[in-house]
Amino acid sequence: MHRNMSQICPGGCATCSEYNGCMSCKPRLFFHLERRDMKQIGVCVSSCPPGHVGQRSRERNECIKCKADCEACFNKNFCMKCKNGFYLHHGKCLENCPDWLEPNNHTMECNEIVH
Amino acid sequence: SAQKAIIRVIPFKLEPLTLEGVFASVAEVMPAEGKLLQFHPLSLCNTSEDEHTVPGFVSIVKLERPQRDLHPCLSLANKAKLAGERGAHAVLFDITDDESAADQLSKPRGLSHPVVLIWGHDAELLMGVVNNNREAHVKIEVKEMPAWPDYDVWI
Repeated sequence: MHRNMSQICPGGCATCSEYNGCMSCKPRLFFHLERRDMKQIGVCVSSCPPGHVGQRSRERNECIKCKADCEACFNKNFCMKCKNGFYLHHGKCLENCPDWLEPNNHTMECNEIVH
Repeated sequence: SAQKAIIRVIPFKLEPLTLEGVFASVAEVMPAEGKLLQFHPLSLCNTSEDEHTVPGFVSIVKLERPQRDLHPCLSLANKAKLAGERGAHAVLFDITDDESAADQLSKPRGLSHPVVLIWGHDAELLMGVVNNNREAHVKIEVKEMPAWPDYDVWI
Protein backbone atom coordinates (compact mmCIF):
# COMPACT_ATOMS: atom_id res chain seq x y z
CA MET A 1 0.00 0.00 0.00
CA HIS A 2 1.94 2.98 -1.12
CA ARG A 3 0.67 6.54 -1.31
CA ASN A 4 2.58 9.72 -2.15
CA MET A 5 2.19 11.18 1.27
CA SER A 6 4.33 14.30 0.91
CA GLN A 7 1.40 16.49 2.04
CA ILE A 8 1.01 14.61 5.35
CA CYS A 9 4.67 13.81 5.88
CA PRO A 10 6.18 14.38 9.28
CA GLY A 11 7.83 17.76 9.83
CA GLY A 12 10.79 18.52 7.61
CA CYS A 13 10.21 15.70 5.13
CA ALA A 14 10.05 16.52 1.46
CA THR A 15 8.88 12.98 0.60
CA CYS A 16 7.97 10.10 2.85
CA SER A 17 6.31 6.71 2.87
CA GLU A 18 4.24 4.70 5.31
CA TYR A 19 6.86 2.16 6.28
CA ASN A 20 10.16 4.03 5.76
CA GLY A 21 9.24 7.47 7.13
CA CYS A 22 11.12 10.29 5.43
CA MET A 23 12.77 9.51 2.12
CA SER A 24 14.10 13.03 1.50
CA CYS A 25 14.25 16.26 3.49
CA LYS A 26 13.37 19.87 2.89
CA PRO A 27 16.33 22.20 2.15
CA ARG A 28 18.92 22.79 4.88
CA LEU A 29 17.68 19.87 7.04
CA PHE A 30 19.70 16.71 7.69
CA PHE A 31 18.44 13.20 6.93
CA HIS A 32 18.88 10.86 9.90
CA LEU A 33 18.06 7.17 10.39
CA GLU A 34 16.41 6.42 13.69
CA ARG A 35 15.89 2.89 15.06
CA ARG A 36 12.80 2.22 17.12
CA ASP A 37 12.86 -1.46 18.16
CA MET A 38 12.28 -3.48 14.98
CA LYS A 39 11.70 -0.41 12.84
CA GLN A 40 14.17 1.98 11.28
CA ILE A 41 12.73 5.18 9.89
CA GLY A 42 14.08 8.27 8.20
CA VAL A 43 13.65 11.60 10.01
CA CYS A 44 14.66 15.14 9.07
CA VAL A 45 16.43 17.24 11.70
CA SER A 46 17.89 20.72 11.87
CA SER A 47 20.84 19.46 13.94
CA CYS A 48 22.20 15.95 14.27
CA PRO A 49 21.98 13.99 17.55
CA PRO A 50 25.05 13.47 19.82
CA GLY A 51 27.65 11.18 18.34
CA HIS A 52 26.75 12.31 14.81
CA VAL A 53 27.82 15.17 12.54
CA GLY A 54 25.89 16.84 9.74
CA GLN A 55 27.42 16.38 6.31
CA ARG A 56 26.16 18.36 3.33
CA SER A 57 26.38 17.08 -0.23
CA ARG A 58 24.65 17.63 -3.59
CA GLU A 59 22.57 14.46 -3.23
CA ARG A 60 21.65 14.62 0.40
CA ASN A 61 22.42 16.42 3.68
CA GLU A 62 22.71 13.64 6.25
CA CYS A 63 23.83 12.82 9.76
CA ILE A 64 27.01 10.76 9.75
CA LYS A 65 27.95 8.73 12.79
CA CYS A 66 31.27 9.60 14.49
CA LYS A 67 33.61 6.72 15.28
CA ALA A 68 32.61 4.46 18.16
CA ASP A 69 35.08 6.03 20.62
CA CYS A 70 34.16 9.60 19.71
CA GLU A 71 31.42 11.71 21.30
CA ALA A 72 31.61 14.73 19.01
CA CYS A 73 33.40 14.96 15.71
CA PHE A 74 34.15 17.47 13.01
CA ASN A 75 33.82 14.72 10.44
CA LYS A 76 33.93 10.94 10.52
CA ASN A 77 37.71 10.90 10.82
CA PHE A 78 38.38 13.89 13.04
CA CYS A 79 37.14 13.74 16.61
CA MET A 80 36.72 16.84 18.79
CA LYS A 81 35.69 15.14 22.07
CA CYS A 82 36.36 11.51 22.95
CA LYS A 83 34.16 9.25 25.01
CA ASN A 84 35.05 8.54 28.62
CA GLY A 85 38.37 6.70 29.03
CA PHE A 86 39.94 7.95 25.79
CA TYR A 87 42.52 10.70 25.24
CA LEU A 88 42.19 13.08 22.31
CA HIS A 89 45.24 13.57 20.12
CA HIS A 90 45.22 15.13 16.67
CA GLY A 91 41.56 14.23 16.13
CA LYS A 92 42.01 10.63 17.21
CA CYS A 93 40.86 8.91 20.39
CA LEU A 94 43.56 6.87 22.11
CA GLU A 95 43.36 4.54 25.11
CA ASN A 96 46.88 5.64 26.05
CA CYS A 97 49.00 8.63 25.03
CA PRO A 98 52.18 7.97 23.02
CA ASP A 99 55.40 7.80 25.09
CA TRP A 100 56.59 11.25 23.99
CA LEU A 101 53.39 12.88 25.23
CA GLU A 102 51.87 13.37 28.67
CA PRO A 103 48.23 12.42 29.45
CA ASN A 104 46.19 15.29 30.87
CA ASN A 105 43.48 13.63 32.95
CA HIS A 106 41.64 16.92 33.34
CA THR A 107 41.18 17.76 29.69
CA MET A 108 41.60 14.12 28.61
CA GLU A 109 44.16 15.16 26.00
CA CYS A 110 47.77 14.20 25.27
CA ASN A 111 50.06 17.15 25.89
CA GLU A 112 53.70 17.94 25.04
CA ILE A 113 56.02 17.02 27.91
CA VAL A 114 57.31 20.28 29.51
CA HIS A 115 60.97 19.92 30.57
CA SER B 1 11.35 -21.25 -12.13
CA ALA B 2 12.76 -19.54 -9.07
CA GLN B 3 12.98 -21.46 -5.84
CA LYS B 4 10.19 -20.63 -3.42
CA ALA B 5 10.81 -19.71 0.20
CA ILE B 6 8.62 -20.28 3.24
CA ILE B 7 8.91 -17.37 5.68
CA ARG B 8 7.75 -18.13 9.19
CA VAL B 9 7.31 -14.95 11.25
CA ILE B 10 7.00 -15.39 15.01
CA PRO B 11 6.05 -12.08 16.62
CA PHE B 12 6.71 -11.80 20.37
CA LYS B 13 3.48 -12.85 22.21
CA LEU B 14 1.43 -13.23 19.00
CA GLU B 15 0.38 -16.00 16.62
CA PRO B 16 3.02 -17.02 14.04
CA LEU B 17 2.50 -16.15 10.40
CA THR B 18 3.51 -18.29 7.41
CA LEU B 19 4.27 -16.32 4.28
CA GLU B 20 5.82 -17.11 0.93
CA GLY B 21 8.54 -15.48 -1.15
CA VAL B 22 11.11 -16.33 -3.77
CA PHE B 23 14.86 -16.81 -3.40
CA ALA B 24 16.80 -14.35 -5.54
CA SER B 25 19.58 -15.84 -7.67
CA VAL B 26 22.05 -13.18 -6.50
CA ALA B 27 22.59 -15.38 -3.44
CA GLU B 28 22.70 -19.00 -2.35
CA VAL B 29 19.41 -20.81 -1.78
CA MET B 30 19.56 -21.87 1.87
CA PRO B 31 17.56 -21.68 5.07
CA ALA B 32 18.26 -18.98 7.64
CA GLU B 33 16.75 -17.47 10.75
CA GLY B 34 17.19 -14.59 13.13
CA LYS B 35 15.66 -11.59 14.82
CA LEU B 36 13.68 -9.46 12.33
CA LEU B 37 14.99 -5.92 11.81
CA GLN B 38 13.67 -3.41 9.31
CA PHE B 39 16.16 -1.24 7.48
CA HIS B 40 15.42 1.96 5.60
CA PRO B 41 16.41 1.70 1.91
CA LEU B 42 18.87 4.57 2.42
CA SER B 43 20.52 2.81 5.35
CA LEU B 44 22.32 0.40 3.06
CA CYS B 45 24.82 2.99 1.90
CA ASN B 46 28.47 3.25 2.87
CA THR B 47 27.96 6.49 4.80
CA SER B 48 25.38 5.27 7.25
CA GLU B 49 25.64 2.78 10.08
CA ASP B 50 23.22 1.42 12.63
CA GLU B 51 24.54 1.21 16.14
CA HIS B 52 21.81 -1.07 17.46
CA THR B 53 22.45 -4.20 15.42
CA VAL B 54 23.98 -7.32 16.89
CA PRO B 55 24.98 -9.76 14.10
CA GLY B 56 22.57 -12.62 13.39
CA PHE B 57 19.46 -10.73 12.38
CA VAL B 58 17.21 -10.98 9.32
CA SER B 59 16.80 -7.69 7.46
CA ILE B 60 13.58 -6.55 5.83
CA VAL B 61 13.84 -3.63 3.42
CA LYS B 62 10.72 -2.09 1.94
CA LEU B 63 11.85 -0.79 -1.46
CA GLU B 64 10.36 2.47 -2.68
CA ARG B 65 9.33 3.30 -6.22
CA PRO B 66 12.51 3.87 -8.29
CA GLN B 67 11.60 7.49 -9.06
CA ARG B 68 11.77 8.25 -5.34
CA ASP B 69 15.44 7.40 -5.17
CA LEU B 70 16.89 8.80 -8.39
CA HIS B 71 20.52 8.55 -7.24
CA PRO B 72 20.81 5.18 -5.52
CA CYS B 73 24.03 5.07 -3.52
CA LEU B 74 24.59 1.38 -4.38
CA SER B 75 23.02 -1.24 -6.64
CA LEU B 76 20.53 -3.57 -4.98
CA ALA B 77 22.98 -6.46 -5.29
CA ASN B 78 25.63 -4.43 -3.48
CA LYS B 79 23.08 -3.36 -0.85
CA ALA B 80 22.27 -7.04 -0.26
CA LYS B 81 26.02 -7.75 0.00
CA LEU B 82 26.52 -4.84 2.43
CA ALA B 83 23.67 -6.08 4.64
CA GLY B 84 25.44 -9.42 4.96
CA GLU B 85 28.72 -7.72 5.78
CA ARG B 86 26.93 -5.85 8.57
CA GLY B 87 25.73 -9.06 10.18
CA ALA B 88 22.49 -10.03 8.43
CA HIS B 89 21.86 -13.79 8.22
CA ALA B 90 19.36 -13.13 5.42
CA VAL B 91 17.85 -10.17 3.56
CA LEU B 92 14.17 -9.85 2.67
CA PHE B 93 13.24 -7.28 0.04
CA ASP B 94 9.63 -6.11 -0.24
CA ILE B 95 9.48 -5.39 -3.97
CA THR B 96 5.80 -4.48 -4.13
CA ASP B 97 6.65 -0.95 -5.28
CA ASP B 98 9.77 -1.78 -7.28
CA GLU B 99 9.23 -4.68 -9.65
CA SER B 100 12.56 -3.95 -11.37
CA ALA B 101 14.23 -5.28 -8.23
CA ALA B 102 13.65 -8.89 -9.27
CA ASP B 103 15.77 -8.38 -12.38
CA GLN B 104 18.45 -6.48 -10.51
CA LEU B 105 18.81 -9.40 -8.09
CA SER B 106 18.65 -12.18 -10.66
CA LYS B 107 22.32 -12.28 -11.64
CA PRO B 108 24.23 -14.85 -9.55
CA ARG B 109 26.83 -13.24 -7.25
CA GLY B 110 27.21 -16.15 -4.86
CA LEU B 111 26.31 -14.12 -1.77
CA SER B 112 26.60 -16.48 1.19
CA HIS B 113 23.42 -15.29 2.93
CA PRO B 114 20.04 -15.86 1.27
CA VAL B 115 18.13 -12.99 -0.37
CA VAL B 116 14.36 -13.46 -0.53
CA LEU B 117 11.88 -11.35 -2.50
CA ILE B 118 8.39 -10.83 -1.15
CA TRP B 119 5.49 -8.75 -2.53
CA GLY B 120 1.77 -8.12 -2.48
CA HIS B 121 -0.38 -9.41 0.38
CA ASP B 122 2.39 -11.46 1.98
CA ALA B 123 4.63 -8.38 2.06
CA GLU B 124 1.83 -6.30 3.52
CA LEU B 125 1.33 -8.83 6.32
CA LEU B 126 5.07 -8.84 7.03
CA MET B 127 5.31 -5.06 7.15
CA GLY B 128 2.25 -5.07 9.39
CA VAL B 129 4.18 -7.21 11.86
CA VAL B 130 7.08 -4.75 11.70
CA ASN B 131 4.78 -1.79 12.23
CA ASN B 132 2.79 -3.23 15.11
CA ASN B 133 5.29 -5.22 17.14
CA ARG B 134 8.47 -4.47 19.02
CA GLU B 135 10.16 -7.80 18.29
CA ALA B 136 9.81 -10.84 16.03
CA HIS B 137 11.81 -13.87 14.99
CA VAL B 138 11.95 -15.12 11.42
CA LYS B 139 12.70 -18.56 9.97
CA ILE B 140 13.31 -18.86 6.23
CA GLU B 141 12.93 -22.35 4.77
CA VAL B 142 13.40 -23.76 1.27
CA LYS B 143 10.00 -24.84 -0.02
CA GLU B 144 10.22 -28.45 -1.19
CA MET B 145 9.32 -28.77 -4.87
CA PRO B 146 6.58 -31.41 -5.46
CA ALA B 147 8.25 -34.73 -6.43
CA TRP B 148 7.11 -36.09 -9.89
CA PRO B 149 4.59 -38.92 -9.30
CA ASP B 150 5.75 -42.40 -10.51
CA TYR B 151 3.89 -43.38 -13.63
CA ASP B 152 3.97 -46.94 -14.86
CA VAL B 153 4.38 -46.25 -18.52
CA TRP B 154 4.13 -49.16 -20.89
CA ILE B 155 5.11 -48.79 -24.51
